[in-house]
Amino acid sequence: MATKTILPPLPDDPRFLDMSYEIQGALPEEQRNLLSNLKPEERELAIKFWEAVKSDFRFNEYLRGCLNCGVCTSGCPAAKFYDFGPREMIQYMMRDAVDKIWEFVNKKVWACVQCYTCSMRCPFNNEIAGLIMLLREYAVKFGLQSAKEVLAPYRRVLLTVITMGNQVTPDMIQPDAFPDWGPQAVEESKNMDVYRKAIPVDLMQRTDIGWHASLQTAVEMMTIFIEAGVLDSLKNIDKDLYDMIMDIYEERKQQLEEIKEKWEKGELKEEELPDSWLEL
Amino acid sequence: MVVSVTNVILPNCEKNYIISILIVRKKFYNKVYKSKISNYNGEMLNQEKQIEKAVQEAFPMSDVIDWNEVYQRIIYRYSSPHSLQHIKEEMYKLEDKGEIIVHHIKPYNNPVEAQTLNGIPKKIPTTKLWHHKSCGQCGHIPGYPTSVFWVMNRLEIDYLDEPHQTSCTGWNYHASGASNPVALAGVYVRNMWRAYETGYFPLIHCGTSFGHYKEVRNMIILHKEIRDKLRPIMRKLDMDIVIPEEVVHYSEWLYVMSKKAAQQKKYNLDNIKAAVHTPCHVYKLVPEDTIYDPEVFQGRRPAAPSGTVQNFGAKLVDYSTWWDCCGFGFRHILTEREFSRSFALFKKVIPAVEEANADVFVTSDTGCVTTLDKSQWAGKAHGFNYNLPVLADAQFVALAMGADPYIIAQIHWHATDVEGFLRKIGVPVDDYKEKFIQYLQDLREGKAEPQYIYPKHRKIDFYLALPDRVKWYKPQAQK
Repeated sequence: MATKTILPPLPDDPRFLDMSYEIQGALPEEQRNLLSNLKPEERELAIKFWEAVKSDFRFNEYLRGCLNCGVCTSGCPAAKFYDFGPREMIQYMMRDAVDKIWEFVNKKVWACVQCYTCSMRCPFNNEIAGLIMLLREYAVKFGLQSAKEVLAPYRRVLLTVITMGNQVTPDMIQPDAFPDWGPQAVEESKNMDVYRKAIPVDLMQRTDIGWHASLQTAVEMMTIFIEAGVLDSLKNIDKDLYDMIMDIYEERKQQLEEIKEKWEKGELKEEELPDSWLEL
Repeated sequence: MVVSVTNVILPNCEKNYIISILIVRKKFYNKVYKSKISNYNGEMLNQEKQIEKAVQEAFPMSDVIDWNEVYQRIIYRYSSPHSLQHIKEEMYKLEDKGEIIVHHIKPYNNPVEAQTLNGIPKKIPTTKLWHHKSCGQCGHIPGYPTSVFWVMNRLEIDYLDEPHQTSCTGWNYHASGASNPVALAGVYVRNMWRAYETGYFPLIHCGTSFGHYKEVRNMIILHKEIRDKLRPIMRKLDMDIVIPEEVVHYSEWLYVMSKKAAQQKKYNLDNIKAAVHTPCHVYKLVPEDTIYDPEVFQGRRPAAPSGTVQNFGAKLVDYSTWWDCCGFGFRHILTEREFSRSFALFKKVIPAVEEANADVFVTSDTGCVTTLDKSQWAGKAHGFNYNLPVLADAQFVALAMGADPYIIAQIHWHATDVEGFLRKIGVPVDDYKEKFIQYLQDLREGKAEPQYIYPKHRKIDFYLALPDRVKWYKPQAQK
């Protein structure tokens, strides 16, 4: 190569626009992509987060490639109401743009409604909504502040699903919590117990549980969640919830052991038991 | 310089060509800048250092990117190594090796074959079914599962409904991400084991449970590490890994039975225009494992619940956003409802009424019924008073077959004007309502006992899952 120095043309020169990217530099719109929103103290955590997501066993199955066609964003319900698009996320993931992914996880990833329209339409067979779930799972595991804020109003559902085996309870529908659901919500909450008694199924007659799961089932559910490590990641998000669930688990496990023992010995008197273990 | 390459999508070139370009470029730039450094000394060196620093700031991993990996990712084109056939083959291979138990559909389940998206047959069992209930249904739309049981009673189907079932936890998972693959697989396998030990084949009520379980089944079959982590947990609960041969949604069962059920139809639905919303999780998760039928929209839309509505004589009407989600959002419906109600109203209800002049909106999932039904009232504050009745396909079928709207279909939990729709088809709503109000009054005063459409369970069944429970229960059911 020549040792002569190559001076680039000045911006006024019409040949400037034919020059390569390094010489022209970024357009003003593109400056945003070059500036890093990553604060120095978050940098290490952001890299660790991204490495963890990439090393998940599902990552290579879910992300196969991207040709930037935008079919995913065109079908996305959240894209119509939020500043969100699955294509943005995939492009960042393809380029290992750690800072952009960090910014995405801290805000936009919670906009997705998990409809899987993007996954069904993607020409690369990417599982895009699955990638969103991966980011969310790791956000919970790493105990990110944004995850805590988003999941704070969701605490009750988490408690119900882990300790009772159902995800919602009939008595959740109260007029002050769901006023926009209409006047029938008021009717329901006022007459909840007699409405439930009028349901001709014996499993659905209580107001504090959707269908009446058995005590053994509830304890098995809690065992699965604890053994699989879900409670450990919940500890980072909501310590009080974790403590509550562990206390309930110990209590219910003990009750189950006692009842099982008595039954096996034949000493159990059914009349002494209340109608439901929820009243124990 | 690395910055130019990271911002350009590489075309589909030969690997060696790209890497050689990179090497040449690096050499070129090193030469250019080194010569510049030797010529311009202090100034250039500083600038170069600043540029390097800026690049490192903007792209934290630019020095460790594996270009081979990026290349592989770009050229890895459409491929479907995990199609349904492959998964079924793997499942049977694992069964032969003894690694998992497969819960087969037996002849006593009277299976019917239906077609899936690629024409591969799917066996739908029609009797001896174990009900896998839905949280949202049993919690907020109790008429939905009650209608399913009622229709099964009418069609004389042998079924088993038990307290020993947990939620699939799919709603929580898709909303919050507060779960992990092993926990999801554990919940799935635990429920399937409970069905397996009774000999009844599991029928999934909720659309999300159905889609979620299809994905979890694929994950368990394809990944050994999940099975290895799952087995000790299941052994602790005295269970093992069992996977049913097919994951069957109740709307698929209802579609397959709908022609027979329509023979018991009581009201004439010929002048009803029904808009249908197929739930996202039923046909967009593992799309190959949902049933399609040439008779229903020429196989271009899922067969359930459109085919069910068609077989009952109602006119299916189409609208431009048929493929759109309802806006449930899993988390949004509870904590960010402004999105759910805006989306449901503007993208689903308004097209169904304005474009299709629909009389009723039929769907086959918990979340969809909840969203579409509950999102309409708030729109009145802005003058949108469409009030399109929303019904689940099971409720639609039960009502058409003559079920009591209040005791069986439980329409008093709905926010939209279902009574108006019932009057259109000739149901004596006011008589039923009077009887129901009297019944509620009697229940309150203790003069009446609750009625049951299937026999009650023993009290001990609400505590322990005893091995003899089916032997005790079935003779009761026959009485």
